[in-house]
Amino acid sequence: MDGLTNLSFRALFDAAVEAKLLVDASGRIVLANPAVQLLLGYSEDEICEVTIEMLMPAKYCEQHRHYRAFFSNNPEKRTMGNGKALTALCRDGTEIMLDISLSPIKTQGQLYVLITFIATDQRFKAEEALRASEERLRLAKQAAGLGIFDCDCKNKIIYWDEQMRRLWGQDSDDPVAYDEFLSVIHPEDRAARKAAYNHAIDPTGNGEYSAEFRVIHAASGIERWIVTIGRVHFEAGHAMRLVGVAQDVTEQKHLQKKLQEQRDETESFFKQQVATRTASAIAHELNQPLTAISAYSEVILHALNNEEIDSDKLKGALEGCIAQAQRAGRSLHELLAFLQKSEIKTEQLNLNDVICEALSIAENDGYGGFHKILNLQPDLPAVQGNRTQVQKVLVNLFRNAVEAMRIASVPTATISISVGTLAKANMASVIVQDNGPSLDKDLAKQIFEPFFTTKPSGIGMGLAISRALIEANGGQLWLDPDLNTGTRFRFTLPFAI
Amino acid sequence: MTNHEPVVYIVDDEPSVRDSLTLMIEQANISVQSFESAEAFLSAYEADFFGCIIIDVKMPEMDGLQLHIELLHRKVWLPVIFLTGHGDIPMSVKAIKTGALDFLTKPVTREKLLTCIRSAFTEAKKRVDEAAHKQNALACLAKLTQREREVMSLAVQGCCNKEIAACLGISHRTVEVHKSKIMWKTGSINLLDLVRITREGDLGK
Repeated sequence: MDGLTNLSFRALFDAAVEAKLLVDASGRIVLANPAVQLLLGYSEDEICEVTIEMLMPAKYCEQHRHYRAFFSNNPEKRTMGNGKALTALCRDGTEIMLDISLSPIKTQGQLYVLITFIATDQRFKAEEALRASEERLRLAKQAAGLGIFDCDCKNKIIYWDEQMRRLWGQDSDDPVAYDEFLSVIHPEDRAARKAAYNHAIDPTGNGEYSAEFRVIHAASGIERWIVTIGRVHFEAGHAMRLVGVAQDVTEQKHLQKKLQEQRDETESFFKQQVATRTASAIAHELNQPLTAISAYSEVILHALNNEEIDSDKLKGALEGCIAQAQRAGRSLHELLAFLQKSEIKTEQLNLNDVICEALSIAENDGYGGFHKILNLQPDLPAVQGNRTQVQKVLVNLFRNAVEAMRIASVPTATISISVGTLAKANMASVIVQDNGPSLDKDLAKQIFEPFFTTKPSGIGMGLAISRALIEANGGQLWLDPDLNTGTRFRFTLPFAI
Repeated sequence: MTNHEPVVYIVDDEPSVRDSLTLMIEQANISVQSFESAEAFLSAYEADFFGCIIIDVKMPEMDGLQLHIELLHRKVWLPVIFLTGHGDIPMSVKAIKTGALDFLTKPVTREKLLTCIRSAFTEAKKRVDEAAHKQNALACLAKLTQREREVMSLAVQGCCNKEIAACLGISHRTVEVHKSKIMWKTGSINLLDLVRITREGDLGK
């Protein structure tokens, strides 16, 4: 230790990592350590020739002389620049950013100032880069209207940014409780959002969160469509945080809806045309024989009424009636054979997959938004059927259910889909049940008839066609009677052998 | 012109309809002639056809509406009754606009068909009479000289002899001579009769 106390000032000065200068009262540099020589690019001889004002940009020199005079009168240890980085001038004219601290040293009646430079240039650049990147992010967020949220899964607290609050229609920038956050979400969409959240926080999953729902602004009652995606962070198998972004997609939704309506309109027009043509073909096929039968019969009746009995003529008329009635029947059979002519291509189907596909088709067609209860059977053997036709039937059933529940304003529209087996018939069965209004008996009887509809815009072919399609696939479609609530359709399909 | 009873001409491609309707109409003591196509009717048509024509709208080749238009082109004035499987409104409006008398939907009842045929016969008679009058009027008017026509044209517009004379630059007396010749040539009893004849001959103006 004794050796150390004798360590000279000069040795310490030269060994310092920080760049250091010793300046006398007139501002002349008396000592400069190797670090400062390196930093500013001067040799030791050169730097001792200059004054401190020569180490700064010219514009600061005048002011600095005043500061120096002030410091001479009030010498104390301090930093310069009030926390802001200062600029030093290197020998080659480049400028570098520095933090500067001053320590007065009085020796032999003379005041010296020990100046320590800490180069902040690198730090400064990093800060600048961070600021720029944050700015870019902010602009991007603003342009995309993205709100950012950070949900503390454990404590059920949500931190959110300004845009996120705007999306939620709230002013306060305090973190919100999870329940309060959820209360803004449209009641019909809560179940689907909850399912997406539960899926995301499942430690066995990939932690991805993706949901689409409506929020209702408390103050104005305005309804907006929000899409949100995020990712859950797990710690030790527990979901800790869910960080994500949210975006207002109301305009896109409206556009989508409009397009869908136009598509529906076209499709419904097309279906109507098909129905009209079919009906017109039937009418033509039946009208000819009916006209003849009616006329023959009236001839016979008139003859009998007037007792003008010419038995050959009457026989002829009656034979005409019979022949025409027979012909009408044949025409109908031929017509049906023609309509069913297109041969069905069947394949082995996984019924569970077909149901999931049909659900997503229905959702894409604007018939989503219901709560799903899926009782699938992953081990169910393959059934034999035409994929598109079975899908069509399912979509039609979902669609009917959703429309019925929407009309009845069912609070939590639910469709449960169950897959099972009819053992004695060696058939797979699918049950589609909603919690909408139940059908009364009279309606239930007519529901499969062509052109029967309860909907103002429907043409009443949906269930008739669905039944025909299932029958064409070797199964049956029927309505389970006597339900107190909801409507339950059931269809069967044969297992593939 | 027509020296026979009215006939119903049926044009329908469907044999059973032709047969049964023929039986029904004949039972009411009305003569029927049936044709299996528009073309068959057109080639069989004679100027003395009298009565009405029942046309099925839906036929192969030339359909009912096309036949109707062809009949108008050929100046066949038989009243037309359409028969159709399903009478959609635009089609029936079109048919009535082109001058069809009625538009019946299959299957048609005896009562409706016969009522329709009877009113078509009345219409046919009217049309034939009108044609005869026109023929007659045209024949009368053909006998007039150019000057007599000029005088007649002014007379039926209500001009007095003095006005006619001034208008044509002839004497009052000459107008009187022309008028008496006109009355004699057309067999008119008075001015009102003359007006009727000119109208029937489409020379009213």
